[in-house]
Amino acid sequence: MNLMEFEFLVDGAIRTIGLENRGRTFVFRDGENVLEADVRRVSANELLFHFGGRTARIYLTRDAGRTLVSVAGREFIVTEAPQGHATSLKGDEKTSEGNLRIKAPMPGKVIKLSVGEGDEVRRNQTLLIVEAMKMENEIQSPVDGMIKKVHTAVGDFVDSEKPLIEIEAKK
Amino acid sequence: MTRSPDRSAGPKSRPVKKGAMFEKILIANRGEIAVRVIRACREMGIRSVAVYSEADARSLHVQLADEAVPIGPAPAVDSYLDMGRIVEAAQRSGARAIHPGYGFLAENPDFARLCEKEKLIFIGPNSAALALVGDKVRARQTMEEAGIPTIPGMKSASRLPEEFRAAARSLGYPVMVKASAGGGGKGMRIVHDEKGLAPALEAGMREAKSSFGDDSVFLEKYIVEPRHVEFQVLADNAGGMVHLFERECSIQRRHQKILEEAPSPALGPELRMKMAETAIKAMRAAGYNNAGTVEFLLDPDRRFYFLEVNARLQVEHPITELVVGVDLVRQQILMASGAKLSLRQEDLHQRGHAIECRIYAEDPKTNFLPSPGRIAFLREPKGPGIRFDSGIFEGWDVPVHYDPILGKLIVWAEDREAACRRMSAALDDCVILGIHTTAGFLRDVVDHPEFRSGRTTTAFIGKHFPSWGTGVEEEEKERLALAAAAFDALTQPAGPASVPPRETKGQNVTPWTALGRWRAGGHEPHGV
Repeated sequence: MNLMEFEFLVDGAIRTIGLENRGRTFVFRDGENVLEADVRRVSANELLFHFGGRTARIYLTRDAGRTLVSVAGREFIVTEAPQGHATSLKGDEKTSEGNLRIKAPMPGKVIKLSVGEGDEVRRNQTLLIVEAMKMENEIQSPVDGMIKKVHTAVGDFVDSEKPLIEIEAKK
Repeated sequence: MTRSPDRSAGPKSRPVKKGAMFEKILIANRGEIAVRVIRACREMGIRSVAVYSEADARSLHVQLADEAVPIGPAPAVDSYLDMGRIVEAAQRSGARAIHPGYGFLAENPDFARLCEKEKLIFIGPNSAALALVGDKVRARQTMEEAGIPTIPGMKSASRLPEEFRAAARSLGYPVMVKASAGGGGKGMRIVHDEKGLAPALEAGMREAKSSFGDDSVFLEKYIVEPRHVEFQVLADNAGGMVHLFERECSIQRRHQKILEEAPSPALGPELRMKMAETAIKAMRAAGYNNAGTVEFLLDPDRRFYFLEVNARLQVEHPITELVVGVDLVRQQILMASGAKLSLRQEDLHQRGHAIECRIYAEDPKTNFLPSPGRIAFLREPKGPGIRFDSGIFEGWDVPVHYDPILGKLIVWAEDREAACRRMSAALDDCVILGIHTTAGFLRDVVDHPEFRSGRTTTAFIGKHFPSWGTGVEEEEKERLALAAAAFDALTQPAGPASVPPRETKGQNVTPWTALGRWRAGGHEPHGV
């Protein structure tokens, strides 16, 4: 019997998928959920899953270390689960000093910066405005606190990876 | 004029005076609408000239046009909004006419005036009509004088905070901040109380300035839960005018349409006729020519109010094309060349039902934040009655500088229910990987019982979709996606972007290293 398990990260959660090759079919396990399907590859980017009298066409491609999957009009981004099993991978991370790192939720251009280093901010106060595709997006403070660092300036193009502002939360 | 006879002499082709039709048209736009106009030119035997910014050198409209002229850096103000460069590109390439598409310079009367001065034909209304309908305040005055019902609001734009405060008080909250030069929801803000007025004005003015180069805004009474119904009008240069019935565009997010249909499920024959007659009257009052749309709000008591004239070809024009059987871009070009309308009102009818879904590069899970980036994989939906107007291709990087519209999925079917089912299936078949799009969200809109029953208002999204992307169906799809990722990793370990498989001893199955980790040994699965 060929049985293996894969650990994936999807939508911020770690998921373990068991896969067993039974020759004519494959059995997939996700916790209590078991799916036995006849799987055929149509092309590098298209799989057919036959199960329970239905057929699901699934499209996928790999891009920058991610597997992008489309199932009936929904897209999922699947990556390798990181080592160490962090419980929460969503949201703004913290620096080693415990400051909150604020990132842009989307790539774009900084068109307004409302705070400077040393400013006191309240929760939901607008910190800066990032514009992309002609849409303005206000980034607000998640906490009451003080601005420790500002890593960006008006006119900068920013991505959604690099921190823009560091905030020390009020205790 | 060198049109070949085989292209112009078909039995159904409209007789065009020899020498009247343009030989070459410049398209002052990008994306799906530039592609749409280029296709019309090709079918009419007209050469097309694309213009492009540095961010669009590889874009689809550049690939499809007969000629392409670079007009500057990525920011629209330095390229697609630069009138001088566009006029120069037209003159250098020998184009006699400019099609502006929608957005950018399409409703800019200065640009229409510049074209008139430079003896270029602007494929759109005359500059005087464009200036009138483009100024929302003057347009409303004109409509009021013509006896057309309008929404109560300020008589003119203002800069004084106290004037806005006084106007808001006399109209009664909620009120709406609107850009004088506005359109497409840009610069609009709903204000529920006096506290919210100042920030809404500031944001509205800033957005109006960046979208239209004009920061003047005014206030209007906000009508709660209306329908948005608009009428398509065609007007030739000799005063001939027909309407092509309505489109309902109530499904909006951030005051921007995301789904449109024709006919409107809200109109009976009598109300339809009355609104159509009002639309024609409005366009006559404005001295309008070429293609244009009169937008109305229809309140829950079936009273309708003039909203504005969209003085351009609209994003949602294909649903009218499918239901009425008229090619609107071809008609625009014919009318601009001086041809009289060959369409007669009594010959125009609505047949069947059409729906359009706008596929935006936006993430519906994060309240429609823009999602620029690379399209890693694309599979366009196909089938009877399905049309996909897009400006995208696999491997293209969707730029951050412009509107997030990727394309439009349009279906036609015999009736509304059949059109909904067709749209639902087509959205399921619309595969765009690498960036987030609105396709999956729109599928759920089309499948929603309130939408199926035709109870559509501008409040629909906020009311029925306060959030999106969870539920049993979503979980099942996610599970299938994970199964597919596991299967793919197992059977195709060296995917195009993956690392080569690692050697592993004592295993019969090809080890898989591109994604996830493989726990060696294969212990018994859970729950067995």
